[in-house]
This record gives sequence, C-alpha cells and structure tokens, in this order.
Amino acid sequence: MARFIGKRLALGLITLFLLSIFVFFGSQVLPGDVGRRVLGPFATPGAVKALNHQLGTDRSVISQYLSWIGGFLHGDLGKSVTGQSVSGIVGPALLKSAALALLAFIIVVPLAIAGGVFAALHEGRLSDRFISVGGLSATSVPDFVWAVLLILVFALWIGVLPATAQAPPGAGFFTQVEYLILPALCLVFVLFGYIARMARAGTIEALDADYSRTALIKGLPYRSVVFKHVLRNSLLPTIAVVATQVGYLIGGLVAIELVFNYQGIGQALFRAAQQKDFPVLESAVLIVGIVYLVATLLADIAYSVLNPRIRYGSET
Amino acid sequence: MSSDARKQVESIRGRVDEVENHLIDELRAGRINRREFVRRGSVLGMSLSTLGVIVAGCARPDVAKVSPPQTKPPKPGGTIRAGIVAPAAAIDPIKISDEGGLAVLAMTGQFLVFSDRHLVLHPVIATSWTHNHDGSVWTFKIRRGVRFTDGTAMSAEDVAATFNRLADPKVGSNSLSTFAGVLSKGNTQALDPETVRFKLDAPNGNFPHIVSSDNYNAIILPRDYSGNWQSTFIGTGPWKLQNFTPEVGVTYVRNPHYWGPPAVADTSELKFYAQEQAAVLGLQGNQVDVLPHYSVAGGRALLTDPAIRTTQFHSAAYREIHLRCDKEPFTDKRVRQAMALLADRRGMVEGLLATKSDYGNDSPFAPIYPSTVKSVAQRQRDVAKAKELLSAAGKSGGFSVPVNTSNDFELPDLAQVLQDNVLVAGIRLNITVSDLGTYYGSSTFGTSPWLDSVVGITDYGHRGVPNVTLDATLTTKGPWNAAHFRNPTYDKLVASYIAALDLHAQRRYARQIQELLLDESPLIIPYFYYFLTGAHNNISGEYSTAMGQVDVSRAGAV
Amino acid sequence: MTTQPAATTGGAAVDVGGVAAQRGPSDAKAARRERLAVLAHSKTFIAGSVILGIWIFCAIFGYVIAPYDPLKTDPINALLAPSSSHLFGTDTLGRDVFSRVIVGARDILIVAPLATLLGTVLGTALGLITGYFRGPVDDILSRIIDTFLAVPVVIVGLLALVALGPSKLTVIIVIGIVFTPVIARTVRAAVLSERDLEYVAAARLRNEKTRYILFAEILPNVLGPVIVEFTVRLGYAIFTIATLSFLGFGIQPPAPDWGLQIFEHYGLISGGYWWPVVFPALAIASLVVGVNLVSDGLSQAFER
Repeated sequence: MARFIGKRLALGLITLFLLSIFVFFGSQVLPGDVGRRVLGPFATPGAVKALNHQLGTDRSVISQYLSWIGGFLHGDLGKSVTGQSVSGIVGPALLKSAALALLAFIIVVPLAIAGGVFAALHEGRLSDRFISVGGLSATSVPDFVWAVLLILVFALWIGVLPATAQAPPGAGFFTQVEYLILPALCLVFVLFGYIARMARAGTIEALDADYSRTALIKGLPYRSVVFKHVLRNSLLPTIAVVATQVGYLIGGLVAIELVFNYQGIGQALFRAAQQKDFPVLESAVLIVGIVYLVATLLADIAYSVLNPRIRYGSET
Repeated sequence: MSSDARKQVESIRGRVDEVENHLIDELRAGRINRREFVRRGSVLGMSLSTLGVIVAGCARPDVAKVSPPQTKPPKPGGTIRAGIVAPAAAIDPIKISDEGGLAVLAMTGQFLVFSDRHLVLHPVIATSWTHNHDGSVWTFKIRRGVRFTDGTAMSAEDVAATFNRLADPKVGSNSLSTFAGVLSKGNTQALDPETVRFKLDAPNGNFPHIVSSDNYNAIILPRDYSGNWQSTFIGTGPWKLQNFTPEVGVTYVRNPHYWGPPAVADTSELKFYAQEQAAVLGLQGNQVDVLPHYSVAGGRALLTDPAIRTTQFHSAAYREIHLRCDKEPFTDKRVRQAMALLADRRGMVEGLLATKSDYGNDSPFAPIYPSTVKSVAQRQRDVAKAKELLSAAGKSGGFSVPVNTSNDFELPDLAQVLQDNVLVAGIRLNITVSDLGTYYGSSTFGTSPWLDSVVGITDYGHRGVPNVTLDATLTTKGPWNAAHFRNPTYDKLVASYIAALDLHAQRRYARQIQELLLDESPLIIPYFYYFLTGAHNNISGEYSTAMGQVDVSRAGAV
Repeated sequence: MTTQPAATTGGAAVDVGGVAAQRGPSDAKAARRERLAVLAHSKTFIAGSVILGIWIFCAIFGYVIAPYDPLKTDPINALLAPSSSHLFGTDTLGRDVFSRVIVGARDILIVAPLATLLGTVLGTALGLITGYFRGPVDDILSRIIDTFLAVPVVIVGLLALVALGPSKLTVIIVIGIVFTPVIARTVRAAVLSERDLEYVAAARLRNEKTRYILFAEILPNVLGPVIVEFTVRLGYAIFTIATLSFLGFGIQPPAPDWGLQIFEHYGLISGGYWWPVVFPALAIASLVVGVNLVSDGLSQAFER
C-alpha cells in the first residue's frame, strides 16, 4: 500500500511538472502583452513598455518561467500583474470553491445515494424510471442554465434567496450558507444524476451478487442485507464519481461563478487567462491539478480499502 | 430684460477678454443656447455665478428652463452601496484605464475641476482659472485648507507634482495619450502655494477639460507619492478608506479632514461584480443601492423594473465602425458611403438601445458638444442610393468582407444588425467576436485585430471634448486610426479646431470636419448612447458622470 | 480491471472496463443479433431515438420548416412575447426564437458528433497503444494523459480559441482534445484485460504486425465499450459546446447556436424576458436527454 501511494505521488509530481510547462508555454499564444492588457488599448506604447519593464514581463519566456518555478518551489507564488500577491488571490478563491463544493456534496451525496438505492430496489417500476430519467435530465441541463432558472424563481419571483453568491463582508456562518444555496443547488442538479445512477447500478449489481443471495438464503432480514452489503458496494462507484467530479467542481465552474458573481478558483483562472496574468494562471492551474490528483488518489485508496477483491491493478 | 441686469452684464464684459465677449455675443444673437453658453464659459474660467448673471441678462425667453427631477432629500446616516464592474488591474491612479478602476479613484480622489453631466466645469481643488491671449498658458488658483486623507496639507506643489508625474514618459501613465502634444513633463509649475501655471506645447481652447474629472487619472496626489495607492487610497475627497478586499469591494468612512461638507451617509461601499449582468442582478436583489452605469444590452431588465429609478443623460460615448480606406473594397469612397447609407440607424437606436441614444452622423462630434454643428444633414438609410453608388464603383454584385469586434455590450448585436442591413446590397459580412484583450491585441498596427481588421467595431467612452478622438482615430499619424484614413485637409482642420479658443471658430472648423467625414466616410458612427444610472426608489442624491465616476457623498436613503 | 475508476469528468459514467470483451471473436454475430433484440425492446432506447430523431429532422430540414429566416433581424420588433405569430417570441434583435431553436439543431448536431468522433478516434488509438505496450510507452503517454485531464476545459478552450480563431472547427478540436485522455483511459482499461487473451497471443505467434494486432484483432473486441463511451461523451459534448458558447469561445454570431442564444439573453431574465433563454435551454436539455437515453439503451445491450 505504501509503495503504491509513494509511486502515485511520484507520478503525480511528474504530471504537475508537465502541467506547469504546458500552461506556461500554452499561454504564450495569447496575444498582446501584459503591460498592454493592464493599461488598456488607449495607452501609449511608451507607457506599456515602461510597465512591462517594471513587471519583468519584457524578459525572455524561459527566464520568466525559471524565476516563477524557483519561487513556487520555495512556497512563494509571486505577484500577480495586478500587484496583488498570488497567494492572496488563489488562496481565498480555492477556499470559496471548496466551500461551495462541500455544501453541494453535503446536500447531493445522501440524497443521490438514497435515490439510487431506492430506484434499484424498485428496478423497472415507475419510481425507478422517474428517478433515473429525472436525474439524467437534471444532469443534462448545463449548469449555467440551472443558475439562470434558479435565480429567476428563488431570487426574483419568490425573493427568498440572494441572486449572487458573495455574502457581504463580515457575514455570519448561516448568512454565508444562505448565499451559497442557489449555486450549490445548481451543482446538486448536475451531480445528482451521476451519483444516483452509479449508486443504482452498484446496488443492482450487489443485489445480484452471490453473497447477497447467500445472505438472503441464510435468512437475514432483507433490510439488513441491503444496508450491510449493498450500500457498501454501491458506495464504491459513487466515490469514483465524486473524486472525478472534484476536477469539475474545483476549477470548472466558470459559468456558474460568473452568473453568481462568486470569486472561486474557476473565475480566478478565467480572469488570469484573459488578462494574461501568468503568475496567477500558473499557480491556479497547478493547485487545481494538485487537488484533482490528490482526489483521484484518495478515491483509489478508498476504493481498494472498501473493496478488497481489487488489488492494486496492473500498474503496480 | 431689466436695465439692471443689462448693466451687470456690461460691467462683466468690461472685465473679461475678447474670447469671453465673443461668447456673450453668440448667446445674445441666439446662435448658442443657455446650456451651451454655460458649458463654454465654464471652460474659459468664468465663474458659475458670473455665467448665471449673464444668462439672466441675455438669454431669450424661449430657452426652456430645465428643472431638476423632484426627489426627496436623503436622511443623514446609514450606509450607501454602489455596484461597479471589478477593476481590471491593480488600482493605481497613474495606470488605470477601465471604468471600474476610475470609479474607485474618484471615491477618495478629487480633480482640479469637475466636469458634470452637461460638460459644465465646476471648481473643486482649483477655485478659478484663466488663460493667456491664445490659450497656450493656463493659470489655476488652488483651494486653501485642503488636506489629504492622512491629514497632511495639500498645496500647489502637490498639484504640479501630480501633472508632471502624469506627463513623464518614464512613468508611463495612462494620461500620456491625452497629454501628447498638449502638456510636457516639467511644464506645470507651482508659482506660489495657491497658484499653478501650465505652459502648453500648443494653444488649446479646451485645456481645463484635460485637467478635469474627464481625465480620470488626474486625481491630486501628494508630491512624494511613490506608488502602492491600494494600501492607502490617499486623496482629498469626502471618503476615507476603511477596508479594501480585492475582487470583492471597498468600504469607506467619512474623511475627517475633508474640506467640504461632510458626507450624508456614515459609510459607503463599492461592491465589485465580475460582469455587468451580475451587477444588474445585485441591484435588483438589493445588494447595492446604486448602479452608477449600466448599458441597455446588459441591463434591459432594469428599464422595466418598477423598484428601480433610472437616471439617463446624454454622453459623447459611441461605437465606431471603421472601414479600412487602404483595403479593397473600401479604397473607393463610394463603397464606404454605400455602407454608411445601408446602416439602419433607426433600427439600431430603437431596437438595440431601446431609444436610449442620440443619432450619430459618422463623426465623433456628438450632439452634446457645444461645438458640434447640428445643421449638418443627418445621414439616413437610403438603400437605392447605396446601390447606385455601389454600381458606380463597379460593385453592384456585392462582396464579402470580415468584421471583427469584441464581446462587450451590444457590439456583437450591432455587428449582426449591420450584417443584416447590408445584405440587401449583396454585401456579406463575416463576423468574428473575440474577448476584449484579443480584439485589441497589442494595440499597435500589425498585431491588433482592432487596428488591422478591414471592418471593426470598437467602443469609445465618453470624453468631455472630442479632441482626442478627432486626433487619434482619424489623423494620418493617429495611433488609433483603425480606418487607415489619410487626409491632409482633415489633419489641418483638426489642428485648427484644437487650437481654436472661441466657440465661433470651433464651430467653423467643426462644420468642415463633419462635412468632410460624411463625404469620405472612413467611419460609421451610428449613435451616441445615453449614460444610464440605476438606483432603488428609496435612494436619492447619487450623481454619476458619463465617465463612470459616482459621487455618493450626497446620497442616502430618503 | 484497473484500480482507476472509469474516468468521467462529466457525462453519465458507465463502467466499461472489460465488459463485453471476454468473448472470443467466434460468437460475435450471435451477440450482435442479441443486442439488436435488446435494443428493440428497450423503452429508454426507443424514447431517446425518437427525441434524437426529431432533432436530426430539424437539423436537416430546419431551414425549410422554420416559419421565419432565423438570421433576419428586425430590431424594432425586439423581445416580443410568445404569440401565435411568434410561437417562442422574438429575441433582442427581433429574430424569431422558434426558427432559431429549430435551425440551431444543425450546428450542434454537426459539431458535437464530429468532436466526439475526433476524441473517440484519438482516445481509442491512444488507449490501444498504452494498454497494449505498457512499460515506458505507457508510462510516458499516461503522464501526458494525466496532465491533460488536470487542465480545466476553460483554459484549453481559451488557448485554442486564440491560437486557432473562433470557429466550429476550433470547437471540434477543443472538445476532441479534452475528450481524448478520458476515452483513452477507458479503452486502455478494456485493452489491458484483452491483451493476455489467447487470440492475441495467437496473433503474436503468427508474427502479425503490431498494427494489425491492435486494430484488426483487439479493436473489434473492445468496440462495445468504445461505442458506449462515444454516446456517453456525445451528451457531454453538447453540454460542453453550450458552455464554451456561453463563455464566448464557441460558435460565432449570428449562428443560431443554443448556448450562444442563452449567453446573449440570460441577463434579460430578471426583466421578465424569459423566452429567448428558456426555449434554447429546453432544446439543449431535451437533446442531451435523448442522447443519454440512447446511450443508456446501448450500454444495457452491451452489458448483457
């Protein structure tokens, strides 16, 4: 196990290194220079040149990359072209994205697993079709469409929830949660279908499996069979989905964050790319990459712990 | 007219220069109206009370009196919140160029002169100003007893340092394009603690606009200002920084050192939004009290919202459609004229802008400028004439041409309407919409879709005087001449217009420029849109400018 | 089986590792017949096919059946509410929303399948190679795949848009690139369980070329998971195209693209102008549901 984790971590580091190179050189295709983007189209070329010199963005591409990665390895994320420290931008953004993702998971995981197990126990019946097709439909609608519709209904028509996700400064815990409900609901809609579907499939498979049948033949009550064996097995694929969705939740929510004016990591990325703000872009992408790799690693570990039948696969 | 008023006017006439006397003649003759007179007079440095006396003594009775909208005064105390689009970069008075950034500057910062919605100039840090005979030297009297938000006293030295800093090519300020050919580094001098003198590179009849709030970088800073404005928000205004959270917003308290009347509300707040739609929802969702600026494209929802009061006023902001005069098929001016004749301005104004705009006549001369000659015939859609011109130019079969624009406001919509408008003549436009940064590219010829595209649609913000747009977008050496228009007659006319001190001469050149641009048609300027400010019905006293600055120091809940 | 879960950055996840690949090539025909029978009786498959069929019909005959020219602007009659003359109302430029929704099916039904196909072809090739060779080839390619999986779609979209210019082709390439690593992982998992089977060993003994073994021997046996993956990705492609359009990276105006229509009008919803947003949104939703239902039916058929 330790060897497996060690190897995965080492491979992860290689991936992150490749990622940093890809983002850096990839972002060179963005037109215009940093000074121009900061000063706007109507500044004189001299002013742009002066600013680029101040920011160090007139140096060669390689030297910019080396000085950035040198700082990164020492824990110094450098400064954004807007003058802010990168950690001051990326840190809070990451926390915000994490808070939103956490709230969404707290709502959707129990709901979707319950829905999926329920559908599996009623396989083929109307309630099953309703949950399956309903979940699928909810999942299919792009997240920003949900965002717009939820704002329309809850913020403007009924007026019970705020239309934006950014709580006022100094707001208490519950106020902050209140502001996050609508964006979290969008994610709930998007994720419900996936998780319920996996939970349903896992449950059906587990119900068909020999050990469930044996348990029933042994005379264990149906309910206890479902809870002990089936639920544990239906959790497996669910964990897999949750882990792979972390990449989408942390860093992929640009549209929702835009609509709700929530300064999460997705918006930080989007803005940095548009501004050609290389220090922020690079750090944000790497941090999203780290979150993604750690999440998939944790999911794999959880997978193998919960399911002893699977060994560490062919790679190890 | 009472003989008393006449006497007062005559005594003023004895004290002022030839240029001012000429202006008074224009008012008397009815060639300019009362508002135009006040606008121009304020630029020349006549005080508003003097202007009031003259208007009372000369104005014709047929000039309609404009009464301010009836709103209740705000109650003191509480907090007032305004929503703006988040500044695009670090908030540095020297560097910022975007509406969000300049709105933040103007909360704590103040200008020598404030340019109001009607382009009338009001004294702020300067109390009065005068000019020499040709307008090449301007002298400003500086207000006494002004202190910065940190408590230190402000004097003429600080004012001079501010302008020398902005005009210094090494500092690389955003104002350099405004000061080019007008003001050089070192030519602003503090004669004594209360007097500042500007020696200009060339005569300039509109110089006070250039040091007013229209030049949003020009807030007065301490002489030893060393950068990092974001840590102090230092200024001389009614508010003082309480807390700044990048990407989220700024909170303010009353400035205890403020020289003017204290702010009505105890505290104020600027809330940042990533984009206009979010800010509109923020206003509707009561997260802010005031939205200093919204566009019809982004905020149409506010126009029909009964909880929202919209204030609208004319501005000189426009969208420019350039036609590259050095590229086929637009090398022939008849083809350019045909394009301009095919544009359905009425559809654009009534549809795209919900009538919230003035018609444009294909030159930067907005109806709001006093020098604009309104008797020049308005160009209107004329498909038959356009087809005639095209066939005379050998293009009766039409042609295909690419159009570039950015993904802002109604620009993509405008491109699509134009595309549909010109199709009747067989002209096919292929639209490419990109983000703002991509569209502007490096903003230098050769590496900028904005400046290189055959047809491009560009947003030009409000300016108190048309000098910069006339010069930069159309003269042979103009850095923003996307139309690649080269016309020596035009270049000479613009130089003469800029130097002209009196309104009569300005109008003479303006007419020639307007007629020349209609004939040559390097640009289609279909409209000058109104500046819209949204506020909740229970709020009063907010005042925004067409630049995007907002004064909430007199605002509060009623 | 691999320890890695079926990689799903979106789209309904289907566990396809090794499924349907256990059989030798001999009973392939019988299996195919059996699958068709399952499909013919699958309600989800039929329902999905009907929805998809309607949209395909709109894509082909949209310009003929649309009551108005979907590009004809009429700004004076902008934002008219739904009525008998404009079933879905008009948009900000006075264009007929109903006509735009119908005609809008064409672009998305061209772009989405092509993009998915590109991703499937590249991903399958990459999956075959990494799964078959293992060793250093696998290690290197797998790291590159991991790298791509960790890049947010938005960044890929922005970079590609700038590098290639905004067009349908760009959207196809972006989505193809984004999907390639995901599909490669799935195919690799299937190939891993296939490569040690007898028929592969036999082919190797016959000294067949590697290319032949990969594409003529192994590929037909992993085709099931590939087809299922294709349909699953197709649904996600529609979601992604809409998102790219919404962010302004995708299909350019005046194309009646659904995502673009939502982007252009979502700010108006709070003013009561819901129709230019809701109808394209429902169009996207119904198309993706249709595709997912078909994919559901297919995966059931392949899992039997």
